[in-house]
Amino acid sequence: MFRAKNLCRIAALLFLCSLGNSFAAESPLRFVTWKSETAQMWDQPIADFEKQNPGVKVIREIGPQSSTQLHDLITQKLKNRDTEMDVFVMDVIWPAEFASAGWALPLDRFFALAEQKQFLDAPIRANRYRDQIFGVPLFVDAGLLYYRKDLLEKYRIPPPRTWPELVQGAKTILAKEKDPQLVGFSGQFKQYEGLICNMMEYIVSNRGNLWDDQKLVSTLNQPPALAAVRFVRDHIIGEIAHRGVLAYEEPESLVLFTEGKAIFHRNWPYAWSVANDSQSSKIAGKVGMMPLPYFPGGKGAAALGGWQLAISRFSKKSELAWRFVSFMTSHAMQKRITLGTGRAPARAALYTDREVLDQLPQLGSLLETFKQAVPRPITPVYVPLSNIMQRYFSSVLALPDTNIDKRAAFAARDMDRVLDLVREAPAP
Amino acid sequence: MRSSHRLAFLFLLPSLIFVGLFAFYPIFESFRLSFYRSILTLPWLGQKMVGWENYTDLWTDPVAAQSLRTTLFFVVTTIPLELGIGLGMALVMNEVFRGRGLLRAVVLIPWAIPTVVSSQMWRFIFNDRYGLFNFVLFGGDASRYLAPLADPILAPMTIIVAEVWKTAPFVALIVLAGLQTIPDELYEAASIDGATAWQQFRHVTLPLLRPALLLALLFRTIDALRVFDLVFVMTQGGPADATNVLSFYGYKKIFAEGMVGYGSAIAVGVFLVSLILSLVYLQILKSSRLEGTAR
Repeated sequence: MFRAKNLCRIAALLFLCSLGNSFAAESPLRFVTWKSETAQMWDQPIADFEKQNPGVKVIREIGPQSSTQLHDLITQKLKNRDTEMDVFVMDVIWPAEFASAGWALPLDRFFALAEQKQFLDAPIRANRYRDQIFGVPLFVDAGLLYYRKDLLEKYRIPPPRTWPELVQGAKTILAKEKDPQLVGFSGQFKQYEGLICNMMEYIVSNRGNLWDDQKLVSTLNQPPALAAVRFVRDHIIGEIAHRGVLAYEEPESLVLFTEGKAIFHRNWPYAWSVANDSQSSKIAGKVGMMPLPYFPGGKGAAALGGWQLAISRFSKKSELAWRFVSFMTSHAMQKRITLGTGRAPARAALYTDREVLDQLPQLGSLLETFKQAVPRPITPVYVPLSNIMQRYFSSVLALPDTNIDKRAAFAARDMDRVLDLVREAPAP
Repeated sequence: MRSSHRLAFLFLLPSLIFVGLFAFYPIFESFRLSFYRSILTLPWLGQKMVGWENYTDLWTDPVAAQSLRTTLFFVVTTIPLELGIGLGMALVMNEVFRGRGLLRAVVLIPWAIPTVVSSQMWRFIFNDRYGLFNFVLFGGDASRYLAPLADPILAPMTIIVAEVWKTAPFVALIVLAGLQTIPDELYEAASIDGATAWQQFRHVTLPLLRPALLLALLFRTIDALRVFDLVFVMTQGGPADATNVLSFYGYKKIFAEGMVGYGSAIAVGVFLVSLILSLVYLQILKSSRLEGTAR
């Protein structure tokens, strides 16, 4: 009897202690993101935030660099309603899915319309789903064409405006350089998300599209899309680009370019500083950058990419989480991150900022490209659609004897079946 | 008698709970989910019971069919190679010579390295520009370099090579254990009878190794059917779906696309195929044991 009473007391005491603990030191804010090469990206801003908010600790959890694999990690946590993740980075294609699944917190009560207007329009639209906003853009990406200025000048070839001009220019240089190591073009053609970005740029610049966002039907089997895919297969892969690009993501394709082994290169804005860094690049100072080419009769199209910050619906600290998000995406912080990393900021005002333009003069000319960048269609079933398209693109590019029309018809039928699922989506 | 039964049951209870919780419950849950249409990203559709629909879809899904062919091709190519090489390694390791202990340890290294690490290594080896593979074949002549990971025919081969490299030592380990149970007297008797080395191997070693070989076969078949990590790191299923094995396809369906019902149906499919194969092997194993005792 005596012992039981004592036990009860000890238990009560322990319980009180644990309560006291949770009041005294606030539990840390957990932020899931990818790893950055420079401390300027996450470490320093986080340290500043902690300094400004005494008692707050931010724990940064590092996920995989690949967007596809990071998606699997973050959705896994959200599926399990993990309260241990408060803030996470979100690729530009995720908001609709995360909103529809009820995973991302709607931010309208924090993120006023007037404030949204301070950002570039394309990423803001990508963060909206059914009249609510689910993320704050951190920086934007858009596909760009890089080229070897020295080689083009050497053979008096002007920077190409159309895809056929690019192919012609590359062939001319290859024939004259006679370097067995040199290739005409490098891009990202592995069976993964980047393949969608690359192929979409060809298709949209030929006045086609992946699917019709209004009618919810695939348009992959329409003539403009078919012609663009056929062009890539017949004139780029195995012609000016070696077949190895079929296994390339961004890093491998960029290394080929910075080693001086590729004339033209398609990549995101970050490649500019890498290619011009004489420590890591053999072609520093010899690099040109321009909007992507188009097909005759079309208009250049850059796939919109970029990263946002979002708050988990299962976070128990949404107020604090928002303080962190708004700090990271504030004008001052975006400026610092831009200057420190060379990434393109999501706030429009920074594109006319003297200090930014002095250090990153190329950003001024990129503003137009970012404004007109084409988002991948916004839908909660983006991932299954992407997998169908990856399968189709990879098959027709890697197996040159396949019948493009037939494969496209199959892919379109599969896509339509998936799109049917969201046709009768209820009003929010 | 009865109380000792009860005591035995009590002792077994922890393991029963463990197995029930971690083996039977997930299997049962996968079975249950495979009869539902459950799409995580579209919660308004709800979890709807659809009967056999996921299975009929799976049966007519050309991607799943190709995936099954890819997986079976992987199984029937890797296993003979693993058994052959593993057997050879075990025979060498069973001989008495200097440095045998060291060799036994070294041989096991591929098996000890985590697959994620070794697949990263193979990815570099097969890199089209800087990989060791091309350098060994063609030296510095970059114009002849192959891109194995970008080729729908070569890419599955790279996975097969990586798998055999990794698991042959495992087979060797099991076979070595089998070899050590064979009494030396049998070889003595055979050599007194004038049997050549080949005859000894053929009529003494192989028959007595049969249970060990079958066991290795069983483990390897089940494991190869579920191959996932190599594909995940080296190719992500590409190019042109050439390495899209069933486990990876199911993983993509559940974890990337949120199609829980359909993905579970794929998982159950993999489970059933390995279950059937295991039962067949176990039957053979049992009959070979009986043969052993009958003699």
